[in-house]
Amino acid sequence: MAEHGSDEPSSRTGSPDGEGRVSADRPLLHQRLAVRELIDTELSYLHMLRLCASDIRSRLQQLPQGDLDVLFSNIDDVIQVNSRFLHDLQETASREEEQVQLIGNLFLEFQEELERVYKVYCASYDQALLLVETYRKEPELQREVQSIIEAVVPQAGPSGLSFLLVIPLQRITKYPLLLQKILENTAPDASAYPVLQRAVSALQDVNTNINEYKRRKEVASKYTKVEQLTLRERLARLNTHTLSKKTTRLSQLLKQEAGLVPRTEDKEFDDLEERFHWVSLCVTEMKNNVAVYRDNLEAFLRFRPQEYDLDIPGGPVVQYCSLMRDLQLQAFPQFQRLEGLVWQPLCSLAKALAGPQNLIKKRLDKLLDFERVEEKLLEVGSVTYEEQEARHTFQALNSLLVAELPQLNQLAVRWLGQILCTFVGLQRDLAQQALQRAEGSLAQLPHYHLSETAFRKLVEDTLGQTGHQLRSFQENFEKVLPPPTTQPLLPGAERQVQALLSRYGPEKLYQVTSNVSGAGTLDLTLLRGQIVALLQNKDTKGNSSRWLVDTGGHRGYVPAGKLELYRVIPSQEEVKGQEWPHKDSRHLTPEPTPAPVPSVPAVTQAVAVYPFVARSSHEVSLQAGQLVTVLEAQDKKGNPEWSLVEVNEQRGYVPSSFLARAPGPALWGWSLPS
Amino acid sequence: MSWIPFKIGQPKKQIVPKTVERDFEREYGKLQQLEEQTRRLQKDMKKSTDADLAMSKSAVKISLDLLSNPLCEQDQDFLNMVTALDTAMKRMDAFNQEKVNQIQKTVIEPLKKFGSVFPSLNMAVKRREQALQDYRRLQAKVEKYEEKEKTGPVLAKLHQAREELRPVRDDFEAKNKQLLDEMPRFYHSRLDYFQPSFEALIRAQVGYYSEMQKIFGDLTQQLDQPGHPDEQREKENEARLSELRALSIVADD
Repeated sequence: MAEHGSDEPSSRTGSPDGEGRVSADRPLLHQRLAVRELIDTELSYLHMLRLCASDIRSRLQQLPQGDLDVLFSNIDDVIQVNSRFLHDLQETASREEEQVQLIGNLFLEFQEELERVYKVYCASYDQALLLVETYRKEPELQREVQSIIEAVVPQAGPSGLSFLLVIPLQRITKYPLLLQKILENTAPDASAYPVLQRAVSALQDVNTNINEYKRRKEVASKYTKVEQLTLRERLARLNTHTLSKKTTRLSQLLKQEAGLVPRTEDKEFDDLEERFHWVSLCVTEMKNNVAVYRDNLEAFLRFRPQEYDLDIPGGPVVQYCSLMRDLQLQAFPQFQRLEGLVWQPLCSLAKALAGPQNLIKKRLDKLLDFERVEEKLLEVGSVTYEEQEARHTFQALNSLLVAELPQLNQLAVRWLGQILCTFVGLQRDLAQQALQRAEGSLAQLPHYHLSETAFRKLVEDTLGQTGHQLRSFQENFEKVLPPPTTQPLLPGAERQVQALLSRYGPEKLYQVTSNVSGAGTLDLTLLRGQIVALLQNKDTKGNSSRWLVDTGGHRGYVPAGKLELYRVIPSQEEVKGQEWPHKDSRHLTPEPTPAPVPSVPAVTQAVAVYPFVARSSHEVSLQAGQLVTVLEAQDKKGNPEWSLVEVNEQRGYVPSSFLARAPGPALWGWSLPS
Repeated sequence: MSWIPFKIGQPKKQIVPKTVERDFEREYGKLQQLEEQTRRLQKDMKKSTDADLAMSKSAVKISLDLLSNPLCEQDQDFLNMVTALDTAMKRMDAFNQEKVNQIQKTVIEPLKKFGSVFPSLNMAVKRREQALQDYRRLQAKVEKYEEKEKTGPVLAKLHQAREELRPVRDDFEAKNKQLLDEMPRFYHSRLDYFQPSFEALIRAQVGYYSEMQKIFGDLTQQLDQPGHPDEQREKENEARLSELRALSIVADD
């Protein structure tokens, strides 16, 4: 604290005869005192700052670091600047005559730095105060804090922390006053006078700027928060006040649209806003596109063709697998640095642009308010305090945006450019990595030395050849024919079949797989097992599921689904003659001569091969060698293991396997021993 | 009808030697495995190339959208950078398309062709199985008659049964032999068949990455951005973000 006591002006001791001298010296004296005051207060100020920054801060350990940062803000920077300032101030003391001028110059020198550090401190002071308030509410904590402060700075008094924290604010506002005092006691013709004048206004400017900065920061922080409100929350926020605000704005906007009221054109701002809009668009699109790219990359990496086992022990197949494995394990994970170096920054950039977007919107709202207030001002001549506030808010927002948008645009574009370059760099790195790994395998490839065109021709030719080979395999497999058909031939059918065969040839013969009952006039009714020759594999309307066939007696249509290619059985003699000449040829499986498996045909004669004792009224007894008439070759449930026969005027079921066909007319191709 | 005194169709003697059956199983088993692997490989390869194409297209979109932004009209530097990027991306996309076409021709098509043989093989194996069943059944029948008392009708039946059996057995033997010959040869053919495809595949990849390295290497030169190590890149990103956050109009959270 200033030691006024010992430096009392000697005016009290002035004697009448020294008055003239004293009165001439008075201003000089006051000046000297003012200078003294400046330096002394600076000294104690700095001392206090240092106490706060080191002693007190370090002892307030129970507070979290974040809180301490808020409370003490950039006090270290302030101390740095002020200690240099003090040092220079003290040096001026040696230069007596010029001291005042030097002091003036010193202030002008330090003007910028003072503004820079103090504006930050002042802007965060409010937040610090809020924090102090919360401490006050906790009596326990409050007592501790208070005791620490009192131990170090007894004169802090009960208001403790807030008393200390406000000191820098007091100091910066004091400078103009101190300077003013010196100025008042300086002769207007002194060389120091203009300098001092400039210094005074400079420090006043500093204070104004600090206030403006603070105001802008307040406005910005009020409106930049892009709040994620639910609809319900938004509705809850509506009250008469906000509603009236909004309706007033809307009507203002409508008036503008209708041309009733001139719109404030601000070309400068509009240009800035337009550019900002494009920058935002750029960032958003890029972000979306990179997101899609990432998804596709992920999908691409999901498939690992190298993991399949073709049981091929060496050669290019193995090389390919190990190359792909390498790429997947090493090259591509590297490429996924994309995540942190491209995607994350893009997200941060996009997020950072959200605040300004909001501010621009708010500015428009405030502009409408502003315009209305301007109107009212014109009409009425005065406005309410609130309306004045609205004007100021708009002006603050506007000047803030105009001041900072250019920089924002520039920074955003610059960053975007860097991100793009990183993206490109990553691609190049990936290619480099891949090539490195492939180098080894490449040299081992059998046709490494061939040019690309020569190689492609070679591959084409090779694939052509192997394609041929595959086709021959396929044909060979297809020549493994179905086993001889097990469909029984109806009796008397052999001659018919032979007739059809000689007329149409073996490829045209089909056997009916199940009973066909014709519906239309041209449709045939056929029994299962009947042989027909194919005339047309579609009907007159082009329906290919209806085939025109010749039964040897009749012609008509049958459903194609009920026909199966009939394998003609060559006669036994023919077969013997062939003697399978192509025995070791892969190409032809000679057709064997099986007989159709003798199951019991429908409605025919049969011979009981084994005796059978009926066990129920449904069954009928058989004697070995007995001749029976087969009525049905299956039981009522369709089970072919039982047949309905008639024997000795009795009807009943017997096991089908106990029956054999009667030695009837020789099966085509067969001759039974007599 | 379980009261039938003996089961129809199961011969007593083993008509196909165990070793033969085992060999057949083994060869067919290998082929079934190969079928599965080639089928899945073909499908995956197709999916992989589809994803590859999609990735390339989305890269092109990045530069395309940038190019159509009005910023390009105002900012010459920006325009230059974006144009260079766009050219590079489009060229890469063209190379990628060519690579995929090459893969389609030399790998995916051949895989498909190879796979198309299997249905015929499987059908052939089924028919052999059918023939085997018929063979077994008739064999059982013959054995049945052989065990009976040799009466006249029985002998007649026996003879008939034997006559029926003979061609069926021959048919089966023939099929069996054919398949036992062909299957290993087909299996073996995969070696000659796939090596060219995979060699072509490797070459296609290498060719593509060579172009990629060249194009993006040139581009980084053009953009005057030397390869920074990652930490430096991260620091720069941090720095850019702080610069932005220093502005009052940017919300800090």
